[in-house]
Amino acid sequence: MTARTSSLRLLSFIALLLFATAPLLMLMVTSLSRGWFYPALLPAAADGSAWRELFTDAGRRDALVNSIALGIGTALVATTLALPLGRAAALSTRAVRRSVALLAFTAVALPPVALGIGLQLTVLRLGLGGTLFGVFLAHLVPTLGYLTLVFLGVFTRWDGRLEESAATLGANGVTRWRLVLLPLLRRPIADALALGFLVSWAQVALTLLVGGGAVRTLPLDVLAMLQAGQDQRAAAGALALAIPALLVLGASRVAARSTSAVVA
Amino acid sequence: MTVTLDVRDLCVLFAGPPQRSVIDGSVSALLVDAAMQASLPQGHRVGLPQVTFTVNAGECLAILGASGAGKSSLLRTAAGLQPAAGGSVLVAGRDVTALPPEQRGIVYLHQEPVLFPHLTVMDNVAFPLTVRGMPKREAHRRAFAMLARLRVGELAGNAATALSGGQRHRVALARALCADPAVLLLDEPLSSLDPAVRRDVRAALLQAREVSGAATILVTHDLDDAMAVATHVAAIGPFGDLSVPTAPADLLHAPPTLSVAQLLGVYAELPGVAERDAQGSRFRWIGGVLEAPDAEPGQAVACARSYEVEIHDGGSLDVPALTVVARRDAAHEVVLDLRDAAGATVTVRAPNGTGASVGDVVQVLLRHARLFSIR
Repeated sequence: MTARTSSLRLLSFIALLLFATAPLLMLMVTSLSRGWFYPALLPAAADGSAWRELFTDAGRRDALVNSIALGIGTALVATTLALPLGRAAALSTRAVRRSVALLAFTAVALPPVALGIGLQLTVLRLGLGGTLFGVFLAHLVPTLGYLTLVFLGVFTRWDGRLEESAATLGANGVTRWRLVLLPLLRRPIADALALGFLVSWAQVALTLLVGGGAVRTLPLDVLAMLQAGQDQRAAAGALALAIPALLVLGASRVAARSTSAVVA
Repeated sequence: MTVTLDVRDLCVLFAGPPQRSVIDGSVSALLVDAAMQASLPQGHRVGLPQVTFTVNAGECLAILGASGAGKSSLLRTAAGLQPAAGGSVLVAGRDVTALPPEQRGIVYLHQEPVLFPHLTVMDNVAFPLTVRGMPKREAHRRAFAMLARLRVGELAGNAATALSGGQRHRVALARALCADPAVLLLDEPLSSLDPAVRRDVRAALLQAREVSGAATILVTHDLDDAMAVATHVAAIGPFGDLSVPTAPADLLHAPPTLSVAQLLGVYAELPGVAERDAQGSRFRWIGGVLEAPDAEPGQAVACARSYEVEIHDGGSLDVPALTVVARRDAAHEVVLDLRDAAGATVTVRAPNGTGASVGDVVQVLLRHARLFSIR
């Protein structure tokens, strides 16, 4: 490797690092400072009130709890539905497989506003407009789409001989799931739960349209604070929104390392 | 001797639409009646219409067949891994045809050993004991004993994914034997192995036979594998028919049909005509005439192995002279293409050390051959 190539690589790495971390750093500084207005280069004073408020203000706490509850509920239900759906589709004929993939992809690919209006009309007819359950159902649609595609991919590559071996060795259906399938699916299931949580966690359009403003979530609160010019609070909320994504990213890296160690 | 596996009129299915047979131009599916044809699962056709055989405890039946003949489908159907369109499978007198694989007492080993990648070698081998509810300590004790009997005890603590090809086969066999199966089905375990691993796995299969009292079926397309491991051999013919199981040496010496002889891959096929007159019956081919007391008049093929053929210099025998037009040296024999004065050609197999070269004029003496009529 020449010195020139090495320098270019280092510069590229620094640029990428700045690109990825600059918005987070800016959020961090903004969330912890008071009276930082243009053209001042540095904040006037440090202030942690926006973070305290995130956990102590009743409205903000409700929004946080709603977001967490929606994320966990959506992830659990969507994973529970998508796993057998993806498996059944993968083991079925090519026509069924393609149809399921197309439907799942439609739920993912539709613009959130278009999907949200359609879901809003449906949820309103069910009498669930403006309810947490209605929003949960709305979040379930794109999440189920994503996770069905995930499990369709997993089971398309799945080695069915593992289950056949287990069966002829005496394992019945339940035992095969317990001792063979679930242990081998631990990583995809963990990934699906994380992805399901994040898809719900970041929803804005669907929550706004189906919740009709009556269901508060953290992303909606952050947008409202930004519109009201409360930059410090918005920055704290935005960072709080980013934390689960960063945690999931880190956890998936750790899980990948430990999985490699098991199968190496 | 106890009959452990009794397969009666089993109708084995292949995936895919009915296919025209290249042998006789007929549709193989027509071999079964219309009612059965209509009842087949969608996307399936009849592969082997009516398979019947038995295997006694402790015996090993090798089933020979060309690629695509239905060997694996037959095993998978017997194991309950794919549906049958008719017939029955009895294990130790119990009809298991309608039972799921886990209740049949039949263990099926895939061509490539399938070990559970998330378990250690020990846990893999203990798996069949664990699923039966045996305490872990006892299951591990028995698993280790089985690994030791198959000479891979030192691998017990290894990850299942960290084994060589031969080790994987031995561990898979140990796991199968831990299930104490009444019937053990081996789906081409020796194909696509290099010679050293092949020898190792053959040895492991023989050890497994000693350890287990199971009725074993080995499917293969390799006669040497069958000879090395099996007590009996049967062959799947071109119409999905299974020949009567016989001792490997008997099948090799006297194949029941021309298709079985072709499958064995050790015979030269010498086409000719069988004739009968007042003096008796004989077979005439371009290299001479053979006495053939039982031959039906008409077109026929004589099959001869290399050690049954003698190649002499032209003019020393009272048989037609033939010219060597091609010579190919194989590991255990020499293959010669010969042509007569009229331009007809034939391929013979001769023993190693045969000196004939291209362009030489030779005469062929058949010391023994099997004759098959062609109708």
